[in-house]
Parts: sequence; structure tokens; C-alpha cells
Amino acid sequence: MSGRTMRSGADLDRPFPDWEKMNALLTSAVAGLTAGGTYALLGVCAVFTYRLVAVVNFTGASIGAAVTFVLIALFEAGFPIWPSVLAGIAAGTLTGVAIGYIMTRWFGEASASTKAAVTVALLVGLIAVGLRLTGGQHPHNMPELFPGSAFRLAGVEVTIASVLTIGLAVLFTILSDLFLNRTKVGLNLRALADRPMAAELLGVRVQLLSLLVWGMTGAFTTFALMIIAPQRSPNFMTLSLLVVPALAAALIGLFRSFWWTLAGGIALGIVEGLASSIESVSQYRGAIPFLVVLAVLLWSQREARWDEAR
Amino acid sequence: MSRLVVSNLSINRAELPVVTSVDLIAESGAISVVLGANGAGKTTLLEGLSGVIPVAGGTIAIDGRALQKARPGARSREGLAHVEQGRTVFRQLTTEENLRVSLHPGADIGEAYALFPELVQRRTVKASLLSGGEQQMLVIARALLTRPKVLLIDEMSAGLAPVIVTRLMTAVRKLADDGLAVVLVEQFAALALSIGNRAYVMRRGRVVYDGDCAKLRQSPGELHRLYLGGTETCRPDG
Repeated sequence: MSGRTMRSGADLDRPFPDWEKMNALLTSAVAGLTAGGTYALLGVCAVFTYRLVAVVNFTGASIGAAVTFVLIALFEAGFPIWPSVLAGIAAGTLTGVAIGYIMTRWFGEASASTKAAVTVALLVGLIAVGLRLTGGQHPHNMPELFPGSAFRLAGVEVTIASVLTIGLAVLFTILSDLFLNRTKVGLNLRALADRPMAAELLGVRVQLLSLLVWGMTGAFTTFALMIIAPQRSPNFMTLSLLVVPALAAALIGLFRSFWWTLAGGIALGIVEGLASSIESVSQYRGAIPFLVVLAVLLWSQREARWDEAR
Repeated sequence: MSRLVVSNLSINRAELPVVTSVDLIAESGAISVVLGANGAGKTTLLEGLSGVIPVAGGTIAIDGRALQKARPGARSREGLAHVEQGRTVFRQLTTEENLRVSLHPGADIGEAYALFPELVQRRTVKASLLSGGEQQMLVIARALLTRPKVLLIDEMSAGLAPVIVTRLMTAVRKLADDGLAVVLVEQFAALALSIGNRAYVMRRGRVVYDGDCAKLRQSPGELHRLYLGGTETCRPDG
């Protein structure tokens, strides 16, 4: 028998106050799915890049943001939407390849921290140029690629774009897993990530494969940003800084597991959604990714701390 | 019959000459042993040959094809395999996956297990969990599966028990007997000379001896002198 109090017949028509709260939380959680799908997709792309070319890439979202603004410019200039999208994806791929060329040509044998620092520098440069060219943080009119509602869940309209973003994240996770574990090219890429020079000495086409990885992540992040931009504040800074929750998701997967990163990204979005419905913490919900980063880093150091304490 | 011919090769590190005017030949069926004290330039020589570091001058050719300007991957595809020092296994891959990375279309993974049957029962084990000796076997077997014409091996005995070193030396001798040209850089001079055909002794980046392994093995005093001093280059067989 539960501890719940029995209600009189007159009260039965009214819902439980607890149920109303639960419903509000569920609604917020569902609303957070869109953001979660975005974090998951960008996070899985970050893990893909890290596992295959050993670079913690801070530029993923900003490349997508830059190309999204190219799409906006083309759209505002009267170009048809889908050819502009294809041109944007091609531009995202080429930008990814260009950054990959810089990384493999000049920083191929550098340490992971040096490579990460280079991508931070590129991020700062991209944001500076992007803000200048796109008119600072003034919002633009972003065309919706997939308008409309897919279905209704817990009183919330779940948009087609949200479903597509999560679907794309799941698809990229499955494809990455299969590609790395079931193909010869994937095997060569895993070897390349571990010891680039040893792989090259065995005849693996290191530079070509690295550029392939950069191009693929460039294409996926660009497409993802194009889908989600209308649902967020479409300014260059906001879109570029999606890299923070994306890297928090990647950290949940310890930069190894695609599936944990996917789950972590979606969970992060849901937690953000839940936080937005709780008045006392809603204004701090943007800090949640930082808290996750901190918590995962402390958790990952627990064995060292334990050894030290002993 | 394949032949690696190195002529007048010079290699710099940080713009300082580390290898100067080296001539070297490696032929099918023979082991060319490169000896010398620490810092003599042996590892730099192999890294220059395989393209890990660029050469400052001279030529490298396999069967007449010049390679000195090619990238390491291109040199590998031309038949030059380099087993680096430090047992550079792909740590996160299993033994079998390590072998599959290098598997040439014309090669069979069974060749690797035939050379080192010890690896068969370790095929599903991550390479990082193998013993030092098994890791060294793996990197040699992995290089073999690229179908090389010339195999460069750097300090394969470092940190290994004598019984394992002897096992590895026997395997390398077998590879040469099967037709491979081998260049072996080694600190254990006596053991290397016992399986080698032609010896090169390096000092301060230059070859100071180029001759028969058997002759050098029979005169330890001469080897000692070559390691530590003397000025002129000795070429007993001309």
C-alpha cells in the first residue's frame, strides 16, 4: 500500500497537483529534444574527428554556422532553396577539407593539445570574421528546410526538424560505428588515429583519408546546422558556440563511444529543457554543459585521486 | 632480385648534419647490418631511407627507381618497409587488425602466422596487451604483409630477453633466405653479425667500415676500434 492519501469523490474529477507538475516537466523535456538532437549530432561528429584524426575539433559548429549564413545570403538574394542547400553542403565539405589540409600538412605530428589549440584559434578567427560579415548578433531570417509538425507528444508539437536532427544523429552514429568496425578504410583510419607515421609507413594513404574525415564531418555538421538554425537564435555567435554542449556530449562518451555521445547529447538537451521549466534555475540553464564537462572530468580523475589518497 | 642502392646520402636534423655521404647497398637474400655507438646516426639513416625525415642530399633507389623525394607511403608502395624502433603497434587494434591494416592484396595473413606462430593464439588480443616480444613479432609480421622488397629494421632487440632476441634474429634470417633484402640496425653487434652478410659501421654520421660480417665477427678488436676511434674508412672488400 502506498502512502498516498485517499481522496473524496468530489476531488476525483480534478487531476493530482503532482501530475500537473509532472506533465509540465515532461513537456519541457520533450521541448529539449530538439536541442538534444543537435548536441548529439555535433558531439558524434566531434568524436568521429577525434577518433580518426586525433583532433579535438572546436571549429565544427562554426563551419556549419558560416555555411548556414551563406545559405541565408543566397536565399535572401532570391536563389531557390534546395540548390542553395546543396551548394552550402559542398561549401561545408570544402571548408572541412581546407581545415583538414592545414591540420595534416602543418600539424600532422603535433601533440593533441597543440592541434586542439589550432582549432580554437581557427574558431576565434571564424567567429571574428563571421560576426563582421553577418552583422554581429542581429538575427536573420533563416528559411526553414523542413517546416511543420511531425507529431504531438506530452502536449508539445515535435517538429519535423527535431525528428530529423535526432534521426540524423542516430544515422551518423550507426554509420560511424559500421564504417569504423566493418570496413578496411575504417580499420586504416583507426590505425591512422593511433600512429599516423606507422600507418603511413605501411602504405596507408594518410593525407587522403584524413581529408576524407574532415570533409565528411564538414558536410554533416553543415547540413545539421542548416536544419536547426531556424529553431534557435540564428546569429553567428550562438550557432558557433553550439560547440560547447557538443563537446560536453563527446566528453560523456569519453571521446570514444558514439552511442554514449548520442545519449549524452540528447540527455543534455532534455536536462536543459527541464531546467527551463524550473524558475529558480532556468536563467542558469546555459551553464549546464559546463557543469557536465566539470563533472565528467572530475569523474575521470577519480582513480588518480584515490591512488593519491592511499 | 631486388636491390636498394643508397649513394652519397646526407641527412640533417635541426639543420645540423647527422648523416654524411653514406653509401649503402642491400640485396635480395642478404642482411646488411648497420652498427655503431649511440648517436652514430643509424636510426636517422633508416628514417631518411623510409621518408620519416627528409634527406638533404644523395639518392635512394630500389631497382633503379629513385625514391629520395617520395613520401613515406609512396616508398612503402614501392617496396620499402620500415620497422621503427619502439615497437609501434596500433595499440587499440587487435593483433589480427594490426595485420589487416598492412595486408597487401597479393599477401595472405597466414604468412604472418607462419613466421610467428606465437601470434595465432593472440589474434583477438589488443596489441597494447601483448608482451614486448610479441609486439616486436607483430610489427615485423605486419611489415612483411606489405609485400616489401627491402625491409629496414631498427633496434628490434631493445628491452627484450636474450631468448626472444635470438628467436627474432632467426626469423629475420629466414626472411632474407626467402629473398628479402634486409637492412638491420642493431646494438647487439655479435648477434647481428652472426646472421648478417654485409656490415656497415657508422661513427659520427659517416660509414667507417663497409665489409664482410664474418670477417668483422672474427676480429672483435677491430670492431671495438671502429666503434671508438680511428679515422680512415675501411673497405676490406674494396
